[in-house]
Amino acid sequence: MIELKNVTKKFGPFTAVDNVSLRIEKGQFFGFLGPNGAGKTTTIKMLTGLYSPTSGICLVNGHDVHRDPLPAKQSIGYVPDQPFLYEKLTGREFLYFVGGLFQIPVDNLRDRIAHSIEAFEIGDFIDRRAEEYSQGMRQRIVLSAALLHDPQVLVIDEPLIGLDPRSARLVKDSLKERTGRGLTIFMSTHLLEIVEELCDRIAIIKDGRIIHEEVQNELRRFDGQLETMFLELTK
Amino acid sequence: MREIVLVLNVKATSFLKNVLDFRIESLFKNLSSLLIFGGVAVGIFLLSRAATGYLLTQAHIGLFLFHRFLSMLLYVFFITVNLGNMIVCYATLYRSEEVGFLMGLPMKHRNIFIVKFIDNFFYSSSTLLLLGLALLLGYGSYFSMPWYFYLVTLFVVLLPFMLIAGIIAVIILMVLIKIASHIGIRWLLAGIILLYLSAIYLYFSMTNPVHLVQEVMRHYPDVNAYFGYLDPPFARYLPNHWVSEFLYWTMVDDPTRASTNLVTLLLILAGLVVVAVAMAKSYYYRSWLAASDARSQRGTLPSWFTLRFMEFGKKGFLREQSDALFRRDFWVFFREPSQWLHLMLMLLLLMIFLVSMGSLELKLNQPFLQTVSFLVVFLFDGFLIASISLRFVFPSVSLEGDAFWCVRSAPVSLRKVYMHKFVTSFALVLLIGEMLAVVSTAMLRDNPVLVIVAALCTAFVALALTSANLGAGAYFASYREKNPIRVASSQGASLTFLGSMVYLGCVVLILVVPLNRYFEMLILRGNSAPTWLTLPVAAIGVLSIVTFFASTAVGLSTIRRDY
Repeated sequence: MIELKNVTKKFGPFTAVDNVSLRIEKGQFFGFLGPNGAGKTTTIKMLTGLYSPTSGICLVNGHDVHRDPLPAKQSIGYVPDQPFLYEKLTGREFLYFVGGLFQIPVDNLRDRIAHSIEAFEIGDFIDRRAEEYSQGMRQRIVLSAALLHDPQVLVIDEPLIGLDPRSARLVKDSLKERTGRGLTIFMSTHLLEIVEELCDRIAIIKDGRIIHEEVQNELRRFDGQLETMFLELTK
Repeated sequence: MREIVLVLNVKATSFLKNVLDFRIESLFKNLSSLLIFGGVAVGIFLLSRAATGYLLTQAHIGLFLFHRFLSMLLYVFFITVNLGNMIVCYATLYRSEEVGFLMGLPMKHRNIFIVKFIDNFFYSSSTLLLLGLALLLGYGSYFSMPWYFYLVTLFVVLLPFMLIAGIIAVIILMVLIKIASHIGIRWLLAGIILLYLSAIYLYFSMTNPVHLVQEVMRHYPDVNAYFGYLDPPFARYLPNHWVSEFLYWTMVDDPTRASTNLVTLLLILAGLVVVAVAMAKSYYYRSWLAASDARSQRGTLPSWFTLRFMEFGKKGFLREQSDALFRRDFWVFFREPSQWLHLMLMLLLLMIFLVSMGSLELKLNQPFLQTVSFLVVFLFDGFLIASISLRFVFPSVSLEGDAFWCVRSAPVSLRKVYMHKFVTSFALVLLIGEMLAVVSTAMLRDNPVLVIVAALCTAFVALALTSANLGAGAYFASYREKNPIRVASSQGASLTFLGSMVYLGCVVLILVVPLNRYFEMLILRGNSAPTWLTLPVAAIGVLSIVTFFASTAVGLSTIRRDY
């Protein structure tokens, strides 16, 4: 479960995120939308501990990400908007490294990496150094790393950039299947058709403020209206 | 030309915005830089003035010999500027993302080369230019030279002299990249290191200072007369010779001969500019492509270097998080040739120093000289620790780079990450420093007290300088910069190095008097009195521990900043 309570982030005189409050329940697939520079990535960075909020609190499974960061981060998997890796390490070494940081014992880690290789079809390049990877390869390695410790919350910033259609399908199916098993997903994206396909709930942020929230279920489907609504709200 | 002006204008604006940033943190950084650089410049000015005065009025070596020594100093300066430019040029002209961006624009390759060369020259040589200017001011003020002497010497002599070093560096680099595309980068780097070591060795063996002093003193007191035959013929074709000749003839008031050397210097500079631009026009783009190709062809380490026990996925002795951090640092270091090659080079210089010491008779019977020899050896050790810390510890936080997100978002405390960096760096620096301190002190004098004092002081110096470089490296961290050499030659790094020199100066000041008393007791009265050294060692300990805590506090607070 994710909860943001009156979160504000200022950079000098500029307010990037202004008094945002959100509550995302367990197993929910949440889409976070907004135009460029609206405050999506800043919010995500506060949620994952990369930025500290100027005021307000970010809770993940009841733990304050900034006051009690280790248990909060233990339950988060994070996929940043740019999938930067250590250029001199191979994909497999990167996964071992991340697994080590999450304190997964080596034997267990070996099995989990084998499972990731299968799930994200990364076997062909996992033993090559990251400096040789394309954007899509990096993205798949980072997704594998984020799910390696079986997190309860997944925070994703633009998950499908650089992925070919087959890889995108793999990722979408994997995420949908995991929400069915109780994974909470907080996803920021510009791809509205992905939101329509995957998300249970959306919020639109503009100039650092939440301007709209909507739920999608059997009774209320977006059915292609999301783009019109988004353009109208953010103009 | 418009293209060059446009890009340089953007760079100058960006630089000025950075310098004229009046936010409190930036203001503090800039003022601290100004104070430390200014302090060091004043120190060098005073030292240069005092050394000139001492050599000419106390030691009576005469103007001729003085300028020959100056020429040797300028040679070392020339090699330093040349090597510095070559190393940083590779990063600036061949690995920078900005070059990739500019290559995609309809901009002439020659102009990209010129812009990046200017950028590189001022980036890698500005500290040396400041040092040269302070030396020049000290030298000129001793001779009470008028104000225009400094202007002319700075802009028409010193700057062209350094530009020659920089242009030769970039010409050699373009040729080397061509060769590297055939024989591979590692063999090439090994060749360059050997070439430069040989050049320095040959220069000093052929212009042997001891031989020079003996030859000149044979003609004493007419040493001011110029005996051209004393110079080896090749020395007359080196830029350092023209600069020292210009200064010599200016001092003896012979403007014709001074200007001959000045014109030679400027003509050679003009010729080198033409050659470099012509080479860049026909070859820079091709060499840039060759460098990109060479980077994409990953070299494999020799089979003996597989080190299977260090591979990921093996069970280690450390807890999971420390084990992961340790293995990552190990492989990231050893898979970057510029990292391990530099370390090997430093260790090679260390071996040369120890072998050279072995052939010297350092057990002296004059307490003051014995104190000086002990301090010189100790300072070399301190300088080595400062250099290793600057080159390898300072960039370590920056080298977390863009991938730092995965550590920052993982359930690992940043204190643990920071202290892991400190402990691994400190262990390496301490090991090298102690090895040098113990062996060199034992060679100096067979005295266990001195060995213990050297070992303790080295441990304190390693503690202070490692923590200071790590803390300052975190404070000045540049996560976007992928090249450790550029991080280690940034303004923050220069500032840290100057701070390290100030710290070493304090250590020497604390040691000098008690050590001299100790040697007086030991040599003149045959009485080893270690109590003379207890208090200074304790004082160095306190200074180092305070430095450690202050640096660690700064490093820890800055590593937690928004990423």
